[in-house]
Amino acid sequence: MQPNWVDILPLILLAGGGFLVFCLGGFWKARPQGLLFAVALATAIAAGAAAILLKPDQTHFLKMVEISGYGRFFTFLLTLITTLSLLFSYQYVKLRGIGGDEFYGLLLLSGLGMILVASALHWLVFFLGLETLSLSLYVLIAIRKPQSASNEAGLKYFMMGAVASAFLTFGIAMVYAATGKMDILQSLSPNIQAVSSPAMLLGLSLILIGIGFKISMVPFHLWTPDVYQGAPAPVTAFLATGSKVALFSALLRFAFYYARNSVWNDYVFVFWILAFLTMAVGNITALAQVRVKRLLAYSSIAQMGYLLMTLLAVREGGVLAIMFYLSVYALMDLGAFGTLATLSEEDEDLDSLEDFRGLAYVHPWRSALLTVCLVSLAGLPPTAGFIGKFILFRAVLQSHFVVLAALGIVTVIVSIYFYFKIIVALFIQPAERKPVTPDLDLFARVAGIAILVLILWLGLLPSALLSSITRILPLSLQLG
Amino acid sequence: MIVPYGNVLLLAIILFLLGAVCSISRRNLLMILIGVEIMLNAAGLAFVAASLKWRLLDGQAFVLFIFAVAASEVAVGLALIVYSQRRTGSLNADQYNQMKG
Repeated sequence: MQPNWVDILPLILLAGGGFLVFCLGGFWKARPQGLLFAVALATAIAAGAAAILLKPDQTHFLKMVEISGYGRFFTFLLTLITTLSLLFSYQYVKLRGIGGDEFYGLLLLSGLGMILVASALHWLVFFLGLETLSLSLYVLIAIRKPQSASNEAGLKYFMMGAVASAFLTFGIAMVYAATGKMDILQSLSPNIQAVSSPAMLLGLSLILIGIGFKISMVPFHLWTPDVYQGAPAPVTAFLATGSKVALFSALLRFAFYYARNSVWNDYVFVFWILAFLTMAVGNITALAQVRVKRLLAYSSIAQMGYLLMTLLAVREGGVLAIMFYLSVYALMDLGAFGTLATLSEEDEDLDSLEDFRGLAYVHPWRSALLTVCLVSLAGLPPTAGFIGKFILFRAVLQSHFVVLAALGIVTVIVSIYFYFKIIVALFIQPAERKPVTPDLDLFARVAGIAILVLILWLGLLPSALLSSITRILPLSLQLG
Repeated sequence: MIVPYGNVLLLAIILFLLGAVCSISRRNLLMILIGVEIMLNAAGLAFVAASLKWRLLDGQAFVLFIFAVAASEVAVGLALIVYSQRRTGSLNADQYNQMKG
């Protein structure tokens, strides 16, 4: 079968755009202001358009990258995340003088890595995508060099991430040793005899640990609040959404393939415990937080817990629910951290709950967006978060995990308290100290409006996205 | 093969455990990085052994990519560590505890 290079146009565009930004930054010193941003934005939008408009007639590219259905869905979602992060970061990085070629170039390359992770059909592509994604993010997090928190966050994420990716690499080696297959589907499929051999189990648990680090699954979540707090807010937005969506979509793919084996039933209890712990620890620890970024970090741990819970229902309708909720989660967290970025003062990001007091009277639009995102994270109607959680819990109940679903609903109710802590702060008496926040620029405004519209639209009329997911699902994930 | 396959795999697992213990128990940033490198090399060894057992070349190709990735990881990591060491004068991981809550 002749490979058709147009099929992977989104990947080529992102890689090319990233290198173009680096070259422009390196060799054209007298470039017009905003050129790098324009190139990066055009690249991300073009990649997203290519992902949606191209209709490849094959399902895979050289059996390495999936280019139909599932892979294309996540390609589009991840380019959307990259685009929105770029829009939120333009003014932020310009004011703080960190908007050089390294910021935009690494953001695009990181997006490329995320897409590779989400659509990998081959362990090598998965490994390389993960490393592209992580290595770019290590630098992006530490990009505010003079600020000690940013530096410390980058160092912490690097140390944790390096150990996690070493675990993951050894896990892949063990799976390969047990099965002799580099193809992900073949190595996890039921006709391999080695499916429950010790090497295979060691490999799969190490891969789970490696992915667990990246999606901050309890007990591997300890880095999350520190890194989210220390990283510049637009980078936090990108990290919290992009890398988690990518890694979770890969985990979902592995689980979907592996769940066709009968041994899956023996390990369901592992995911049961992990999902319960992640939901409980995330939501309960968030109660005590007084810093908004840390609170949102624990909230994103809890959101991952809901998704892990639905992983148990991977055989019956869980895939649809997880794909829908991942899109919704990306929008909500991008909105929350993006607004935080536009509200931040120049030398330090707006973080303490005290500083949010009365912001709604000074910045009504940004507060409105933050409120909608928080209401959606809490899972209340009429937002997309409500529909998303409803579908998640329905899928779990249909697979007869009643106790876990009940415990999950209890943690959702607990979580409403701390989301409203921020919302109440926005609307009460203004604080003594007035944070000096810059005016909203055009790009952040576009991103904010897009997120607001999408969250409300998916909340009121979810059928459009749901039916398109249902349409593409049967075509994909079945390769081989 | 002269050396049995199982023994090579066992060696890889032992090497991996040594690296894991090194990177988890040591507090020095450089020692953590060294532990990571040992784990990656253990993965490489397992890939080569498995590749010989299955008589397929893709495992050995994977090792080349591991080398490249390990080198770039060290490049980024050492840059971060050197900058942090200049700023705080310490290589001890426990000293980096500014953020709490």
